[in-house]
Amino acid sequence: MINIIIDGKKIEVEKGTTILEAAKKLNIIIPALCDREVVKAYGACRLCVVDVNDGNEIKMVTSCNYLINKEIEVFMQSERVRKTRKMLLEMMLSRWPNVPMIKQFAAEYGVIKPRMIHPLVDYSENACILCGLCVNACSEMVWEDIIGFAGRGENRRVVMPFEKHYEACIGCSTCANICPTGAIYMTDIPNKPADEKRIDKFGMKITEEMTLMDDEQCDMRGVGTAHLTQIMNDYDLLPTTNYRFGSHKEAGKLHSDVFKAKFTQGLPDGCWLGCTMSCAKSIDNYELKSGPYKGQKVLVDGPEYETVAGCGANLGIFNPEFVIEANFYCDTYGIDTISFATGLAFVMECFENGILDKEKTGDLELNFGNEEAAMEILHQMGRGDGFGIIVGQGIRRMKKIFTEKNDLTDEQIQFMQDIGMEAKGLEYSEYVTKESLAMQGGYGLALKGAQHDEAWLIFMDMVNNQIPTFADKAEALHYFPMFRTWFGLMGLCKLPWNDVEPADNAENDEPAKIPGHVEGYVNFFSAMTGKEIDKHELIRQSERVYNFQRVFNFRLGYGNRESDRIPYRSAGPVTNEEYESRAERYDKQLIEKWNYDIEGKTSKEKRDFLRKMREEDYQKLCDAVYNRRGWDDNGVPTIEKMREIGMDLPEVVEVLKRA
Amino acid sequence: MKKQILVNDNLIEWQENLTINKILKIMNYSFKMLVIKVDGELIKKDEYGTKIVSENADVKIIHLISGG
Repeated sequence: MINIIIDGKKIEVEKGTTILEAAKKLNIIIPALCDREVVKAYGACRLCVVDVNDGNEIKMVTSCNYLINKEIEVFMQSERVRKTRKMLLEMMLSRWPNVPMIKQFAAEYGVIKPRMIHPLVDYSENACILCGLCVNACSEMVWEDIIGFAGRGENRRVVMPFEKHYEACIGCSTCANICPTGAIYMTDIPNKPADEKRIDKFGMKITEEMTLMDDEQCDMRGVGTAHLTQIMNDYDLLPTTNYRFGSHKEAGKLHSDVFKAKFTQGLPDGCWLGCTMSCAKSIDNYELKSGPYKGQKVLVDGPEYETVAGCGANLGIFNPEFVIEANFYCDTYGIDTISFATGLAFVMECFENGILDKEKTGDLELNFGNEEAAMEILHQMGRGDGFGIIVGQGIRRMKKIFTEKNDLTDEQIQFMQDIGMEAKGLEYSEYVTKESLAMQGGYGLALKGAQHDEAWLIFMDMVNNQIPTFADKAEALHYFPMFRTWFGLMGLCKLPWNDVEPADNAENDEPAKIPGHVEGYVNFFSAMTGKEIDKHELIRQSERVYNFQRVFNFRLGYGNRESDRIPYRSAGPVTNEEYESRAERYDKQLIEKWNYDIEGKTSKEKRDFLRKMREEDYQKLCDAVYNRRGWDDNGVPTIEKMREIGMDLPEVVEVLKRA
Repeated sequence: MKKQILVNDNLIEWQENLTINKILKIMNYSFKMLVIKVDGELIKKDEYGTKIVSENADVKIIHLISGG
């Protein structure tokens, strides 16, 4: 820390602080046209000049980019300083006489009418004052260089390259939003929003948060969702060898830093024009080691977290190159990386437990960790031959096929039901849910099947202990699926909602909902459509669609309690090995939660009791959620509920009468 | 009897000069988007290394939601 004096007031600042920042801490206002926290100081307008005594001499410096490295004394209002500012303002006023902020500063320094008229005088109130904020914002906030300065002296101006329209401009409006005079403005011709400025305000808020906080929060710009791999491993949530465990000593090999070093693309327009979260990443010139394109150098889009966790840890393969290659071929063949990974993890566990053997797999040794065999299965799925034809049908059908074709015992058939990680026929995405009942519901009760994007509640439930009762969990399993369904209704990405948070988010009563961003989306909707809504209407909009979808599922034989069933591995340890690997945790729970006497009990006895309790809990959770959502005991929306939300259409009522 | 604190309703052994950063390390909490309260008082991020947590404190380390 360094002690400095500003106009006689002492203040202690960190080394590297600018004089302007230090002055702000003392509530001293220094005039500046080009100062914004979100971009680096540039010293363009020079109005922030001050005198500095550094012990050797008194010199005039621009306070916005003078870094404090030793004890200094600063004079904000010396005669020389005031005279310089006055002269600068007179020159500015002679060129831009009607720009409000220049008129205001000039008046404060006694300049009402300049003594000269600039040869390039611009009488517009929205004249460009060459502050450079737009140029720096484009470069630093959006990671583009669409606009820049051209010319020198009085010819200096802001332009696109060669002073022509540059197609690389993604229309993000950051330059327009940061422009202090309104010289740059955006017009959204295709969408014709009711209130463009209101939309821009919300968009700019996210852009500013990304600029200032992303590095310390999720590093979405740096690595995208792959940042989650090491976090999930730390919290015992990274699925390892078919969700048996939640962490692995080799998980570091799949750390986001490993992929960051390989990423060659992370552009702001990675997946959506104008998005400054820019989480989509790519790897250029990856040389394929297998398959029809072996030896060719290709571009791989990703990998993201689910692909890293699924094709890596969940298959027992801790090789980033395998993950990248699997990512490429899944994309090329049109196969979902999650379903491939979770399906193959199931196959590998069946293989290691004698349900499958080399005869049935076409001579492939499908043990966990066998990269070559795993990749061969992917190619077979793509080609439509060999054992890949069966794997490609997904876990639900595989369970049926193995039961019909292989001579299995009842115990083996039950084992397959327990470890086949699918619900409603969809493979689980990549999170271990054993210790979070709410998240088991997040997967099991999701309309589309076992996907986490309706409600990701593991931290709220397992880590924070925020939702301890069934009613608490049911409330979360009402609010979050409804809120997140809304993104689908609007065609919006939900990552800007929760992968960066406002600086003041912690001060809210319900920080998990990120109220500042919810308000932003409400404003976005209202400003786009011209129809004012509030956060309750947002949920209501989703409820209409969500319940309609549930009725649709019911009509097709899925929207009921039976279809909300989950495999036991989602709720607890299926094998003794799993139980014993976390024995302390499970023993403690048996004693404290269920008063179970573990003395002299085998792992199997303890595991069986735990299973009984956890399966009962899951059914109680379903009861609570159905009740909260306005559904009957079988998980079917009631006619009363559909009437309440205005969805009691005759066809819907007809279907529900069969419930 | 050992001195303790509550962290997200889990009893944790208390120690001298226990800062928020030390608690995060003990709990292996590596996630960054946190809201931390000690006995109901919000602790700002720049206090994680300096705020000393006293024995019997009720510490809430609320992890927000992230990811798809």
